[in-house]
Amino acid sequence: MSDAQMTSEALETADAGKPERTMGRFNKWDTPWLNGKLLTGAGIILAILVMGLIGRLVWDTELAFTGSSPLNLPPVGFENNRGQVGEWAHPLGTENSGRDMLAVLLLGTPNTFLIGAIAAAAGMGIGIVLGFSSGFIGGWVDGVIRLAADVTITIPALMVLVVISAVLRQIDLVTMALLIAAFAWQSPTRLIRSQVLSMKESGYVRMAKLSGASTIDIMFKEMLPNLIPYLFASFIAGATGAILAAVGLETLGLGPQRVPTLGGTIYDAISAAALLRNMWWWWGLPTVLLALMFVGLLLVNLGLDEIANPRLRKASK
Amino acid sequence: MNSVRNGLLAASAIALALTASPALAQDVPREQTVIFDLDRTIADPTNFNWFTPGAYQRVQGAHQAMWEPLFILNYESGEIEPWLGTSFEPNDTLDAWTLTLRDGVEWSDGEPFNADDVIFTINMLLGDETAALQEAANMQQWVESVEKIDDHTVQFNLVGANPRFPLDYFSVRIFGSLLIMPEHVWAGQDPETFKFYDEEQGWPIGTGPYTFTTADTSRAVWDRNDDWWGAASGFIELPEPQRLIWLESGTEENRAQLLANNQLDAAQTVTLGAFEVIQAMNPAIIAWHGGMPFSWPDPCARQLEFNTTVAPWDDPNMRRAINNIIDRDQIVNVAYEGTTIPSRTMFVEYAAMAPFIDAILAEGMTLPTSANLDEARALIEGAGYTLNGDIYERDGEPLTADIIVNSASTELTRAVDLIVEQFRRAGIDAIARPVENSVFWGTVLPLGEYDLAYTWLSCGSVNEPWASMNRYTNHFVVPVGERSPGFNNSARWDTEATASYTAIVDEIGSMPLGDPAIPGMVAEAYQYFHDEMPFIPLVQASKLLPYNTTYWTGWPTAEDNYIHPAHWWNHTHRIIHNLEPAQ
Repeated sequence: MSDAQMTSEALETADAGKPERTMGRFNKWDTPWLNGKLLTGAGIILAILVMGLIGRLVWDTELAFTGSSPLNLPPVGFENNRGQVGEWAHPLGTENSGRDMLAVLLLGTPNTFLIGAIAAAAGMGIGIVLGFSSGFIGGWVDGVIRLAADVTITIPALMVLVVISAVLRQIDLVTMALLIAAFAWQSPTRLIRSQVLSMKESGYVRMAKLSGASTIDIMFKEMLPNLIPYLFASFIAGATGAILAAVGLETLGLGPQRVPTLGGTIYDAISAAALLRNMWWWWGLPTVLLALMFVGLLLVNLGLDEIANPRLRKASK
Repeated sequence: MNSVRNGLLAASAIALALTASPALAQDVPREQTVIFDLDRTIADPTNFNWFTPGAYQRVQGAHQAMWEPLFILNYESGEIEPWLGTSFEPNDTLDAWTLTLRDGVEWSDGEPFNADDVIFTINMLLGDETAALQEAANMQQWVESVEKIDDHTVQFNLVGANPRFPLDYFSVRIFGSLLIMPEHVWAGQDPETFKFYDEEQGWPIGTGPYTFTTADTSRAVWDRNDDWWGAASGFIELPEPQRLIWLESGTEENRAQLLANNQLDAAQTVTLGAFEVIQAMNPAIIAWHGGMPFSWPDPCARQLEFNTTVAPWDDPNMRRAINNIIDRDQIVNVAYEGTTIPSRTMFVEYAAMAPFIDAILAEGMTLPTSANLDEARALIEGAGYTLNGDIYERDGEPLTADIIVNSASTELTRAVDLIVEQFRRAGIDAIARPVENSVFWGTVLPLGEYDLAYTWLSCGSVNEPWASMNRYTNHFVVPVGERSPGFNNSARWDTEATASYTAIVDEIGSMPLGDPAIPGMVAEAYQYFHDEMPFIPLVQASKLLPYNTTYWTGWPTAEDNYIHPAHWWNHTHRIIHNLEPAQ
């Protein structure tokens, strides 16, 4: 698509949007937060999370550990290579070290989310502080922060993570999340800085300054609320990236060793030739869950993007 | 200007010609090639110094195709078969042994292989002050001097009687043997740093029917030397395969795919589940047995090794506690899927070992097959630990156990994952620490840089008890950070009990094989070991080795048991000579 086309389209949609926007002001259902993509995405994620949280109350999660169940059983209704059929005691089957797949998934799925949430929150927190300081204070503070972000963003995170996680004695979920967060603050920092730079010149900020509000107050009381949709979208993007990094590490066998995770389960399956042995429930179920999770996160992200950016919203209507 | 350019072009053409490996120049058809599986990366593909401590510079084909042993212990017949040597005879007091070499043996560069090479190699090992070179510790323990009687006869004068001298070091008792190196190449070289590789000089050389062609970190290629001395002298005919390749197969999935697609002829061990599928996909795949358990019992039983210098594992009660935590039946059924059996003593469960195993069991020294957590807890609490939540603590410090495991094989990591669970159930914060193969053998074990490790270091005895027992005597104790000679007593077990144990084991070592007093003495010495447990015997090892009959037949099986099937051992020469093209 050429630039000219894009501009004209944008103009058209902007024009077409004008009357609706003034009308919609009085309709309480016309809130941008009731976005189809956002709701679908959030629904998927919530469903997965709720299943994980309720599931561990009703299912014996001790079965997620090595040697707790019979080996290599298929899910109920299927047969494995040796002609054994699935049992209701292990409805999703078991793998070749005697872990129950249902228990593994019930523990592993929320764990994977947890890593994403902690890493994204930590990255975001750092990003907010650094981004605001950089954009609002400016000067040498801006210079240092920008340089740090620009330099470290070029480091291939996975490579460093592989080295670090190989050195640590034991990786638990939080350690892993924080490791990933160390490579997840640059994007939010840069994003927030650019927003702050443009917002700094707006009327209400100048007004606040003239009224003698402190820098901290202006940054966090005046400007931050206006950035919430942006931050949210950026948080979701950060969480997606963090989960991707975590799954990457786990699938390389560098994740938490004993705590079940989706990536770790895939690693075990690969190293035990599960593909070849036709044990699809072993690698397939975590893969499907991961795919669902990423689709959910993507939809949420797209939805938030539309909320934060009215032009996208009109275009999609 | 032009001449400079032409010069450069010519130079680069020469450089290209030099770097292009000869393997590319000559293509050998698949049906004349045997592809062996390598379960590890070749850390240093152009290093052929097999003495290098910790390095495994021979399983890439060097000691299966190029370097031949003097004798081969055939596990199936129980005989010691002559190879480069024809006889190895003792004097009456068993402290001098006379080796006779085969006539007509030549190195691949045409030089004769003779007594000088043997004497040079042994003297080099005797002169190694650090005893770090492989086999140096063994030679220094036993050999006082070597004498040349004539070109084909060497006399070994020992420091004391040793009835097992040829068996232990020159007969491929397990895995390898002391390989004789050519004096005309090695003389004047520093055995610690010499790489024995020089393309121009044609190094490495050996006496075997194959010579080195090319190698990188994942494969090594060897081609048949049609001028081999063995065929010329009438010893054995040339082997059928023209080319041998050792190929790193990687994960079990890869190994299985290679076997299914006939890109591998002899594979390393696979799990039972994978084997069943491989056989379903490719009916030409066979194993030692035609049915359950399919596998061949490897002589190196698995064990949990302690570093007995590190607290709390320096306390024998803590080690005994671990012995009560271990559920051997579960390890057999889960990690090995029923293809092996629990260990009852430190020894391999071969028929020839039965008298010694029985003597130990008769004294009531047994290993439980299932866990006894009550007893374990009593021992741990007796050492001052109290349970805080799920994990034991002492002075605010949790009781942790890092179990080092060689990541080269799923067999090992699977077993250790299960042991970790067993530890955790008993209240120990255990984790598995997988380390790379070369780190495992190169530093972690020999230098004692571990607390616990999953090993098979008591490996040694197959038909008599001394070889395994000797490894834990106090002759080999070195401080942590120094290299354990020959991986012996890496546990650094060095107490009064060790001294008493050592005294009896030394006496056993000087008695003729088959002496009726030995089983009783074994039980007596074993009591010291059993009380202090510097390592915990776990389960017997089993190897489920798939062989492919698509291109080659004549692989060793329980029915055609001309020799045992471990194709990464030095006796693989026997297997290669037995192969016949299938088509």
